[in-house]
Amino acid sequence: MAAPRVCVPGERLVSTADCESGRGTYVHHGYIYSCLAGYMHKRNLDGKELPIVEVIRQKEDAVPRIGSIVTGKVTSVSGRMCKCAITCVERTTLREPFRGLIRKEDVRATEKDRVEMYKCFRPGDIVLARVLSLGDANCYLLSTAENELGVVLALSEAGAQMVPVSWSDMQCPKTGSKEFRKVAKVQLQQE
Amino acid sequence: MPGDSRRIAGPQDSRAPHWFGRQQETHQEAGGTRQDGRGDHDLRPVYLHTGVVSQATGSAYMEMGQTKVIAAVYGPREISRREEFTMKGRLCCELKFATFSCRQRRQHIQDNQERDGSLIVLQALEPAVCLDKFPKSQVDVYITVLQDDGSALAAAITCAALGLADAGVMMYDVVVGCSVRQCGEDQWLDPSVREEFRPEVESAGDHGMVTVGLLPSLNQVSALVLDGHLQQQTAVQAVKTCISGCQGIYPILKDCLVSSTRRNVPSLEQKSGQTSTDGQNGQT
Repeated sequence: MAAPRVCVPGERLVSTADCESGRGTYVHHGYIYSCLAGYMHKRNLDGKELPIVEVIRQKEDAVPRIGSIVTGKVTSVSGRMCKCAITCVERTTLREPFRGLIRKEDVRATEKDRVEMYKCFRPGDIVLARVLSLGDANCYLLSTAENELGVVLALSEAGAQMVPVSWSDMQCPKTGSKEFRKVAKVQLQQE
Repeated sequence: MPGDSRRIAGPQDSRAPHWFGRQQETHQEAGGTRQDGRGDHDLRPVYLHTGVVSQATGSAYMEMGQTKVIAAVYGPREISRREEFTMKGRLCCELKFATFSCRQRRQHIQDNQERDGSLIVLQALEPAVCLDKFPKSQVDVYITVLQDDGSALAAAITCAALGLADAGVMMYDVVVGCSVRQCGEDQWLDPSVREEFRPEVESAGDHGMVTVGLLPSLNQVSALVLDGHLQQQTAVQAVKTCISGCQGIYPILKDCLVSSTRRNVPSLEQKSGQTSTDGQNGQT
């Protein structure tokens, strides 16, 4: 096979009669054009007549979208909410962090009214969360109301990395003391 | 005098030695050729390169003859707290002439010409960028003119567009800039600095400079600047010359982007075998 075709932004790829527009492309006057400098490739999807044409570039810019899983570091906790700095969106690491916010009612799915923020997060914790909405001008609104979401990495007061012991507790291997967290059930992602 | 008190300010009116020597040279207009020997509608040699600023998301460097411009693109990054919520992204441009770029020393602080230039570059780039693809965030473009030997604004537009493409910002099209200097009957494409700052001369009539930003594959003009005094017909003719100049630069820009993509972006086969077999039946 010849090397895949490299496109530049604005390059006309195919007619809309032959293909559907996918990621990294746009439609203009019945033709599909590229939006990115990257490799063009076509995919056949089951149940669809036309193949999808996409332009892929590794360095594709990532901004948090509604529904995407983000990784963040807790920067401050108050009685009503917890602020964090989003460092990763799905699998892409961001060059600069975005501000995120977890409200008290979005921490867990059950017993929402009995959530105590200080028993769920501490500054410095690494959390997995889902983007609920783009929020206001300041912050993205995040939620950890799923079993797989919550604190994945936390340091104890003694400074050791804690081990989860239940869905609401983590234990310090150094001192044996338990601390409260909204613990995430970490799932191994399939490659 | 505005100034940064923490800097050691150079003398306000220092000039390079060659300012005094070579200034006396005159144009060789005989036979329609210009001082550097090219034809009226010829471009200077263009050199483009991407990925020159390591910290930036994307960057580009451009030379047109002796004009040297560097552009760095950062983002999409978070919008500052003071801004209102928008579903569209924001593009910010900053054009700066390096202090040593011109014959006369420039200041560190942005002056009016640079502020105007930033706005024009922004105006040229904004229609090309898919702003709806990154809501609530902004992309910053910093352009520095390292040496100004004419057509710096046009070079800044082209260079910034290349930087954006290198950063992987979604765009409807790249933007190419080009300038024309109208001097009486003569129309010079891609003028050098000596053609740009020509003192008012003997011949009456049209004198001016036109800069155009073009989306080449959509064939749309995104920015148009006209300085000076031109008849309507001359102006139209000048814009047409600019557009043909832009179309002349576009293949070079395209080549540069394709080769830099091949160099820097790993192709799909290396990522997974599945996709490459899918791609096979689609490729011609």
